[in-house]
Amino acid sequence: MKAQDLIAQARAQQRTALDEYAGKSLLTEYGVAVPRSATVKNANEVDAAFARLKPPLVVKIMSPDILHKSDAGGVKIGVKSAVEAKDAINAMAASPRIKDARIDGYLIEEMAPAGQEIVIGGLRDPQFGPLVMVGLGGIFVEVLADVSFRICPITRLDAEEMLAELKGAAILAGARGRKPVSRAAIVDALMKIGGENGLLMQHMQHDGDISEADINPLMVSESAAVAVDARFILR
Amino acid sequence: MRVLYCVKTMNKNNKLREFSPLFEPKTVAVIGASAKSPTLPNHFIRRIREFGYSGEIYPIHPSATEIDGLTAYKTLADTPLPVDYAYIAVAGAQIPAMLEAAKGHVRFAQVISSGFGEVDEGKDLQDQLVASARAGGMRLIGPNCLGIFTPRGGVTFAEVGPQETGTVGVVSQSGGLGTDIVRRGLGRGVKFSGLITVGNCADVTPTELLEYYFADAQTKVIGMYIETAKDGRRMFEMLRTQKAAKPVVILKGGRTQQGLLAAASHTGSLAGDDRVWIALSKQTGCVMVDTLDQFIDTLLLFQSLTPQPQHPTQRVTLFGNGGGASVLATDYFAKLGLDVTPFGAETIAALAALKLPPGTSITNPVDCPVGTLQQDDGRVAEKILDIIYGSGKPDALVMHLNMSAFVGRSKPEVLDNLVAAALRVQEKYPGQAHFVLVLRSDGEPTLEQRKREFRARAVALGVPVYDEMSNAGHALAALKSHERFVWSRSTDSS
Repeated sequence: MKAQDLIAQARAQQRTALDEYAGKSLLTEYGVAVPRSATVKNANEVDAAFARLKPPLVVKIMSPDILHKSDAGGVKIGVKSAVEAKDAINAMAASPRIKDARIDGYLIEEMAPAGQEIVIGGLRDPQFGPLVMVGLGGIFVEVLADVSFRICPITRLDAEEMLAELKGAAILAGARGRKPVSRAAIVDALMKIGGENGLLMQHMQHDGDISEADINPLMVSESAAVAVDARFILR
Repeated sequence: MRVLYCVKTMNKNNKLREFSPLFEPKTVAVIGASAKSPTLPNHFIRRIREFGYSGEIYPIHPSATEIDGLTAYKTLADTPLPVDYAYIAVAGAQIPAMLEAAKGHVRFAQVISSGFGEVDEGKDLQDQLVASARAGGMRLIGPNCLGIFTPRGGVTFAEVGPQETGTVGVVSQSGGLGTDIVRRGLGRGVKFSGLITVGNCADVTPTELLEYYFADAQTKVIGMYIETAKDGRRMFEMLRTQKAAKPVVILKGGRTQQGLLAAASHTGSLAGDDRVWIALSKQTGCVMVDTLDQFIDTLLLFQSLTPQPQHPTQRVTLFGNGGGASVLATDYFAKLGLDVTPFGAETIAALAALKLPPGTSITNPVDCPVGTLQQDDGRVAEKILDIIYGSGKPDALVMHLNMSAFVGRSKPEVLDNLVAAALRVQEKYPGQAHFVLVLRSDGEPTLEQRKREFRARAVALGVPVYDEMSNAGHALAALKSHERFVWSRSTDSS
């Protein structure tokens, strides 16, 4: 589905944000890699979906009422078989924090290769227009607020300088015996989000339809970056 | 590329042509001057006459025929020649009708009066003011500001002395701070190509004035005090296109919480504060400073020194008297990202061969007690500096003199000789190192007087002078950041 259609559909459904599947479809439109996935309405549709995907998989609830899926028990990782997936879906549907919510369905995704969690965000400043943000995931962004902002559109040099100014930048080079991760892949993703023809320039300018964006996490390995979760707030 | 270049040149000429009458007005109208008792506009008339303004002055008054010896006119449309600049300080509610009555006879109106958009009940009046300026065919500056200081135009809003036209162009959103910048700046040796206070920026924006300063050949460095950038997007795009072709120093007042208030996302909650201004400075090479002193210190530095982007300031040599002061400065400079690291063996050997008296440290910082510095009436400095420049090759040299320590021990000319020696060495190695002087004193009146004279002489020779090492450090760090930006963008193809 095209970007404008995804947004129009969410609006038609009176949503204030894109659901995860629509958000990832939007990222795909701009060339940001997302895990291969399928959506199902219920456990009965799992077999067909499973045939197209490569385990291990992750199953996630899709509900406009649930913002923090993990906290609500709406995420099951390491799912290896269709039977496990059906069990997970049935368990979620019956769980106390989900059973009264509106459920759009379930997202079944291939699991991204392990790597460093990165956060990329977008925000519309009333005076300066779209801003793009990057930070390292987990405590770096949540506790230390170790993030860097730029005004869109950014150049590749801007993107590289954003990464260099993070206090945790050494982690990317492979601190404490870890493997280094691909800075080029992060810079590519930043350009697709915050560059000249990026997502934020298209959707966050004066009359743009998106007010805020979180890609959290972007999982970055030695060679690639995959957006594992994404949230777009509509204006 | 060629088309783009033409567009840029055209815009540049447009801004120059549009704003030149503001900075060099041939005709000035004044609204609010009284024939009976002196008001602020009467003082304005006196000030610009004293400041050397040589064009026409037209007081505008509904009934008086003469004010301060000048023929008065009833409206802005009645003056013999069209008005380049109108200075307006009367009750706000009367102004819209006055502007509208100008009927294309006025180029710029600066409204000093307040009670407009800066207060809730004045917002409508400000809208009227803008509409009437448009209807009257002029550009509006302010309201709620103090005026313009333009030595080349002979116009000033402040009581000030020197009339020399300099190279520092400033835009200030605050009038009071504008006065501080002019007065303190002049006292420290800053020479202005212009300073304009813009208040509420109801029509002419800071961005337009920055564009003018970029286009203006007289202006070499640009300063801006800003609280809100209503046209932030345009400012960003303009500054980005300029790529710091002239250094821009920004003093930002008022932290915004806008990002935080509306945040529905994680990113939103992390925005807030001044992150957008930090982003702006990183992407456009503008230098952000935190205090009025740093603002003036940094403007003075860029006025005096020519940036060397091909070798950004990094390695600094400290040379002077005061062991503790140079140790403290070494630590402080390191915090600012500048290196005061010891010389290599060759340089140290060459300095050692001078056989300077005991108590002299020659590794960098080069710490010379007064006894050493006054050798040969201060000419010893030339030998030391020659070795430092020739062999140590620093990016910047900070010469610091604790003036108190010379009192009663040296001939008065020692200080002169020291600085003269430094300047001779500077000349021998052109473009090699930025030279900065720190004159430390203890506030004792005769010493302060000497320092003032000294400062004036040094600044006239293109040497920026600071009161303390930390001030010099901040200014050099700003220079470093400007040079690095220009270098990184000149080699960037992304």
